[in-house]
Amino acid sequence: MIDSLEAVRMWLVVGFVLVGLFFTFVSMTGVIRLPDVYSRAHTASQADTLGAGFALAAVALVIGWDGAGFKTVILLFFIFLTNPTAAHGIARAAFEQGIVPWTEGDERR
Amino acid sequence: MADSGGDAVVVPVEATPTLRATVAHVAEAVARGEFSTIHFVVLASWRDEDPQGADRRADAEHVIDRARVWAETDLEDAGVGGTNVRTAIVGTDDYLFGPSDYARRLAAYADEHGVGTVVLDPEYTPVGNTTLLQPMEFELSSTSLDVREAPVERPTRRERLLTEATGIRFAAVFGVSLLFYFVLGDPLYWFDWVTGVASATIVAITLSRISLDHEPSFPETPLRILRGAVYVPVLLFEIVKSNLLVARVILDPRLPIDPTMNRVRVLVGGGLPLMTLSNSITLTPGTLTTRARDENLYVHSLIPSARDGLFDGSLERWTRFIYYGREAARLPTPRERDDVAILQGPEATEALPIAQADGGAVADSPSDDAAEAVNRDADAGSEADADADADAGSEVDADAEVTDE
Repeated sequence: MIDSLEAVRMWLVVGFVLVGLFFTFVSMTGVIRLPDVYSRAHTASQADTLGAGFALAAVALVIGWDGAGFKTVILLFFIFLTNPTAAHGIARAAFEQGIVPWTEGDERR
Repeated sequence: MADSGGDAVVVPVEATPTLRATVAHVAEAVARGEFSTIHFVVLASWRDEDPQGADRRADAEHVIDRARVWAETDLEDAGVGGTNVRTAIVGTDDYLFGPSDYARRLAAYADEHGVGTVVLDPEYTPVGNTTLLQPMEFELSSTSLDVREAPVERPTRRERLLTEATGIRFAAVFGVSLLFYFVLGDPLYWFDWVTGVASATIVAITLSRISLDHEPSFPETPLRILRGAVYVPVLLFEIVKSNLLVARVILDPRLPIDPTMNRVRVLVGGGLPLMTLSNSITLTPGTLTTRARDENLYVHSLIPSARDGLFDGSLERWTRFIYYGREAARLPTPRERDDVAILQGPEATEALPIAQADGGAVADSPSDDAAEAVNRDADAGSEADADADADAGSEVDADAEVTDE
């Protein structure tokens, strides 16, 4: 019984890490493929929200719910507060510099 | 347009301890013959459509009436008759954010009514939190207005800190900080109590006025926290959903993106609710808040389905639910209210206001009127020339700059 629970936990951890890696990979691909600063800002936030989110969930599972595990949840909370703020800061700076967003039909930069 | 005879003065008012003295100072100046007309103006940090807009307007009217009565009494006492005292509430159709927005509104009002001088109450901080006066004076100095601060006896900085530090806000910030400290530390260990109380005190003294712009109240604040807790799983679900949509688009070899800039006029109330909404919009991939200007959020969308989600306003509805309850959540969606616009691409309904959106020093000068006129034209539905040609947009702005010089 204990052994099977441990096995479930281990596979959950592996699953979370893989999903987190997947979203980080998508985010990286997006930053390379997408045409301009605005669209790249969209995908950069993916690495923070789900990439880091699933990685931290895996960490919490490994550590367990006492003490340090709870801190990963707090960590995630702060990532969720700071990530959009930073993305907005970058996009706003671009907007104020007068950078016109790329649209369908423009040349790829 | 200008008022005949003598000069006019505009005084932005807000309920401050030094308002009475500021009014008295202006009345003295009038008695000396410096001015012939006084305008008391409230620069609204809310919008009339806001769920609590009516209350805020009533409060503002109360303050402004008090200022008017004081001024009239002072003038009567000084034996000056025939002075024109006017009042106005401006900016209720926008959210005003930084000092530049306030300065711009004030300058526009002054321009419209032929006012040449601004007298500022030294305690005037319309946003209700951070000290806005100095940056606002700086912004105003780039206009043609003559700016002065009322030479009023004011509490010293030290006393101000102490008065701010007492009360509910202090207790709230202190409590939250201490709680957070104990989450990280050990509430059963005496040393953590000493350090925790010390740091919570420092945090509360320095930040209680900045981090809370309204007093926490019962039962609203606990209710908001509860409703916020309901919102968290909803937001997480939205994030996962839109992450998958965007991941599919990015991994597609054809990269079928159709990014556009959009404008949404949101009805949530300024400050914290607006922050919650724009952060939620940015957190969901596919939509990115690039600018919160006045009443409008400029949101960049990556794919059409993300844009549709934005216009259907489910996040806006949830934000209203958190802050104002279920009643307010039932308001129509942005699309139903016709508060949305696409600024780029073949479906564009409005010109892209890039470069004029915040042209720094230029936008805050009177040239902004020209830029706003362009905006209004676009609003009026002249779809023909609103093909969102960005070059046209920046040319218009360049023209505005030239005429300003």
